[in-house]
Amino acid sequence: MKSFDFFEAPSVEIALDSLDVDDLQIRPQGGGTALMLMMKSGVYQPSKLVSLRGIKELRDIRLSQTGELIIGSMTSLSEIEHSELVRSHAPVISDTMKRLANVRVRNIARLGGALAHGDPHMDLPPLLSALGATVITISKNGRRSIEVIDLYKGYYETALKADELIESVCIPNLNNSRCVYLKCTTRSAEDWPALGVALKLKIINNHFIDVHIVFGSIGEVPLEMKQVQDLLEGKHASNDTLDAACELAYSLVEPSGDALGSAEYKKELVKVYLKRALVQAINHEGAVK
Amino acid sequence: MNARIQSQFGEIGRKISRLEAKSKVTGKAKYTHHLKLPGMLYAKVFRSTVAHGRIIKVDVTEAKKVEGVYDVLISVDIMKFIPEPYYGPAFLDQPILAIDKVRYVGEPVAVVLSTDPHIAEYATQFIEAEYEELPAVYDELEAMTSKAIVHDELRPSGTFPDLKHLMGKKNTNIALDYHLKRGDVEQSFKDADFVFEHTFKTQQVMHTPLEPMVSLADVNLNEQHVTIYSATQSPSFVRLEIARLLGWSENQVRVIVPHLGGGFGAKLYIKLEALVTALSMIAGKPVKLSQTMEEQFYTITKHPTTFKIKSAVNKSGKIIGRRCDVWWNGGAYADIGPRVTQKSGFTAAGPYDIENVEIESYALYTNRPPSGALRGFGIPQLVWAYERQIDIIAHELSIDPLEIRRINLLKNGRPQATGTIMKDAALDLVLERLATRMNWSSTHPKRNGSIKSGRGIAIGFKASVAPTTSTALVTINADGSCILSMSSVDMGQGSDTAMAQIVAEVLHLKSENIRVVNPDTDSTPYDMATLGSRSVFHMGNAVKLAAEDAKNKLKLLAKDAGLGEDYAGPFSDIFTKKYGMQAGTLVGFGAYIPSYTPPDKKDGSTTNATPFWMVGATGVELEVDSETGHINILKMINIVDCGNPLNPAIVETQLSGAAIMQVGFSLTEIMKLDNGQVTNASFSDYKIPGFNDIPIAFENEMIDSYQSNGPFGAKGVGESATFGVSPAIANAIQDAVGVSLSELPMTPESIFKAIKNQHNKRAGA
Repeated sequence: MKSFDFFEAPSVEIALDSLDVDDLQIRPQGGGTALMLMMKSGVYQPSKLVSLRGIKELRDIRLSQTGELIIGSMTSLSEIEHSELVRSHAPVISDTMKRLANVRVRNIARLGGALAHGDPHMDLPPLLSALGATVITISKNGRRSIEVIDLYKGYYETALKADELIESVCIPNLNNSRCVYLKCTTRSAEDWPALGVALKLKIINNHFIDVHIVFGSIGEVPLEMKQVQDLLEGKHASNDTLDAACELAYSLVEPSGDALGSAEYKKELVKVYLKRALVQAINHEGAVK
Repeated sequence: MNARIQSQFGEIGRKISRLEAKSKVTGKAKYTHHLKLPGMLYAKVFRSTVAHGRIIKVDVTEAKKVEGVYDVLISVDIMKFIPEPYYGPAFLDQPILAIDKVRYVGEPVAVVLSTDPHIAEYATQFIEAEYEELPAVYDELEAMTSKAIVHDELRPSGTFPDLKHLMGKKNTNIALDYHLKRGDVEQSFKDADFVFEHTFKTQQVMHTPLEPMVSLADVNLNEQHVTIYSATQSPSFVRLEIARLLGWSENQVRVIVPHLGGGFGAKLYIKLEALVTALSMIAGKPVKLSQTMEEQFYTITKHPTTFKIKSAVNKSGKIIGRRCDVWWNGGAYADIGPRVTQKSGFTAAGPYDIENVEIESYALYTNRPPSGALRGFGIPQLVWAYERQIDIIAHELSIDPLEIRRINLLKNGRPQATGTIMKDAALDLVLERLATRMNWSSTHPKRNGSIKSGRGIAIGFKASVAPTTSTALVTINADGSCILSMSSVDMGQGSDTAMAQIVAEVLHLKSENIRVVNPDTDSTPYDMATLGSRSVFHMGNAVKLAAEDAKNKLKLLAKDAGLGEDYAGPFSDIFTKKYGMQAGTLVGFGAYIPSYTPPDKKDGSTTNATPFWMVGATGVELEVDSETGHINILKMINIVDCGNPLNPAIVETQLSGAAIMQVGFSLTEIMKLDNGQVTNASFSDYKIPGFNDIPIAFENEMIDSYQSNGPFGAKGVGESATFGVSPAIANAIQDAVGVSLSELPMTPESIFKAIKNQHNKRAGA
C-alpha cells in the first residue's frame, strides 16, 4: 500500500472543498471498514482520503416534524443499533444490526459509507429500499433527494457524483406496516449475506396491501420484485397466495452465482426465504412497523 | 476408580492463569512484530503468478529505480552467498527464492528491500517476471500418474533414514510411500458377510494464526554470526538448518523467540528465517520480513486428502479386515508432509481391533501452496474417513453407532495395526463417558417439519510423533528463586505455565514465582520443536528431570555446606552458608528421549510405534434446515484422554480451541483455487468461526486417566479435541436427514444438494 494523505474534514463545507470531481484517487471516507479491505487487496489506491467521521452535524438521529426518521450519514452502525428512537420507529433496522458484520465493524462503520459503498452484498441497501427510504445528498450545487433503490446503478456503482456526499437518510413513517428483513449467510454467521430479503407490507382484513419486496445479494443492485408485489397486492394472506408469490419470485430471479452460493442455490433460497419472510410478516413476530 | 495422582505440593492440577496472561491482555507482551533494530531494512516478497513454469527472466531494473528502494534481489544474488540455498525438514527441495522454476502461484521469486515497508511493497509492482508455463497438477490422485512433474529430481534430506531410497528419483511426484500389512486383507474381503468401500475427501485449509509469520535477521559478517528473531515454533531446528545452509557451527547462529500469536503448526521448521538471513547477509544490515494474512496462504497449509477405505464386516458388526489408501496432497514443497504421511499412516485404520489391515499412504507433490503440519498432523483427515464409514456401516447393518464402536474398539493390551500393544489409551473410557454425557441410551426426539434433528459421535486417536528429544535447565539463584530455561515455544497453549508447575511441584515452590525464559538458543537448551502435542510429555519429562537434578544438587550443596543433605530450610540458607553471602548459582539439567522402534521396511510393523497415545471423541446434537441445508449445532461435547491434566483450566481452553478450529475446517473453511491461484486469501472470503458459530451448548471434559511414563501422569492434549469434530457433525447430519456426506467442508449448499439428490433418487426409485 502506497502512503496517502488522510484529511479529517471538520465540516461538510470543507469536505466538499477537499474533493475533486476529476480525481478519483481522492475519495470521501466514512468509517473506512470496506475501503480498507479494497486498499489492502490493492483494488483501490487513494492519493487522499477525506474522512467525514469528525463532522458532528452528520452524526445524529432525530424525527422530522412530519414524523420521518432522519439519520445522519456519519452515525455509526452501533449507534443506530442501540438507538431507542430507531427501535421505536423502525425496529426492523435495530434487529438487522445484530447480524450485520460484527460488533467491531459496527462500532466503526457509518451509515453513509454502508450505502455509498455499492457492494451488492450488503444488508442496508435492500432493507432501506423496501422501507421506502431516501438519501439526502449535498454538493456545492445544493441538496438532492434520491430514493435508496435508485442509488444503485451497478456493481460498486452509485448515482452519487464524485463531488457529492450523503448527508442523511430519511426513513418514512412506517404507519403500522409490517417490516421484515431476513438475512441468509452461508459461511460464518457474521458474513455478508448470500441473500437478503426485505419486505414492508400491511395486512388489512387479512389482505396484503402496499407490498414492497426487495432482494439483496442476488444481482449487481438491490432487486425490487415488482411482479411479486403486484401478485400479492390486495390478495388474501393465505398459504396458496404465499406459494404462488414464492414460485413467481423463483421463476423471475436470475441470481449471479458468487463465493457465497451458486446461482441455482440462491434461486432456491429466494423461494424459501421469501416464504419465511411473508409468514413472519403475517405472524408479525416483532414485524409490525 | 480414581487414577489421578495426588499432587504432593498442590502445584500439579492447579488451575492457575497463564503466567503471561496479564502482559498479553494489557498489550505489554512483546512480539517479533514490535521489534526494530537500528538501520533495519524491510523486505517485501514478489511472488510467482504461474503455478508451474520455467523462469525465463526476472527484470528488477525498474523496481530498483523506485525512490527509497535499497536493493532488489533474486536467487542468483543469494547463491553468491549460499551456493546451495535449499531447505526443508524432510526434503532439501525448497529454494530460498525460486531457482529456474516456479512450482506454485505465490512462490517467492524476488525481494525488495527498503527502509520503508510501504515503498518496498510499492516497488514490487515494477518487477517483471517472464515464465515458460508448464502443465500443472493440483489433484493428489492425478499427481500419482501425472505427466506434470513438480520436481525434476527428488532431494531427500539426510534427516530421515526412511527417505534415503528416494534420493535422485526422477519422473515421480511421490515424496513418500508408506505401507503397512497385517494379516491377510484380501482373504478377509472374501470371508466377510459384507464389504464396504467409500472414498472421502478433505480440503485445503490454512492455520490462520492471528500473528502472521515474521522474522528478523541481523548478520554480522565480521564476527561470522547471525541473530534471528523469529515467530517460530522450532528455534532449535532453525539454528540447525541455518547453520547447515551457511556452513557455520551452531554457536554462530542465535535464534530468539519473543511471544507468539498462535502457530498451530504453521511456524515450524524454516519459514522466513533462511530468506531474512540471506538478505541481511547481502545487505549488511538487519532485515525484517512481516507477512500479511494473505501471504500466509502462500506459505503453508493443511494437506487436502483422498482416502479410499474398504472394510470387511461380519453380520455382528465386527470389522475383520480393512484396506486404507490415503493420498496426501503435499503441494509444491514437501515441508514435513512425508512425516505426516507415515506417522498418521500408523493409525489410518482407526482405533479398532482389526485382524487384517493394509495401509498404503502416499505423500504427493502438486502445484499448490505447500502443506505441512496443522493441529492433528494428518489425524483429523483420517478420522473423517474412518468415523464416517463406521456410521455408514452401522446404518446399513441397523446397528447402533455407539454399539458398533463398542464391538470393535481397541482395548489396552491388544495390538494396534502396527503391532504395537496399546497401553494407557483410554479409548473405552472416553467412548463410554461420551455416551453418558450424550445421554445416548435415551431415544432422541425427531422434530417434524422442515427442521430435522440428529445426533452423532466419533472417536479418534493419534500416536505421538517419535522419537524426539527435549532438554531443559533449571537454575537456582542464591536467594532461592528459580529460573526455567527451555526452547519449548509458548504460542498461546500455556506450556510455560504448565512447565513452571512441574518445576514448582518438584522443588516445592510456587508456580507463579518461577521465571520461564523465552527461547533463545544461546541460553535455552535444545528442543526438537513445539509440535504434535509433544511438549507436556517430552519437555515435561525433561523439565521434571532438570528440577530433580537441581534438587539433588541442592542436597549435595547443603551437605557440602555443613547443613546436612536433608536440610529443610529455605534454599537461600544453603547458598549463604556455602558462599558466605547471597552468592552462587546452581543448575539442574534434564534430557528426555523416549524409546522407539522404527517400522519394518517390508510390512510397516513396529512393536513400539509411539511413547503415548492421544484419544479424543466428540458428540454432536444438531438441527438441519432441510429447505436450505443450514445446520445449527445445539450441543457439542468433546471428551479426551490427556492423562493427568497439569492445569485443567488451560487444558479446557486447549480443548475448546481445538474443537472450534475444527468446526471451521468442517463447515466453512476452504482455500479456493483458480489455476493454482488462491482466490480467497483473506478473512473477508476465508471464513473462520466467530462467536456466533460456536455450538450453543459447548462442553469439554478430560476423563480420569494417568499416563504412566508421562510427567506426573500427563500427556499431550493440543490436538485431541480436533479428532472427532468433523465426522460427528456429518454423522449427526446423516441421522437427521439421511444424507451421507463424504467431502469437507459441509457447507449449507453442499448439504442442500445432498438432500435434493437423495430426494430425486427416491422419486426416481
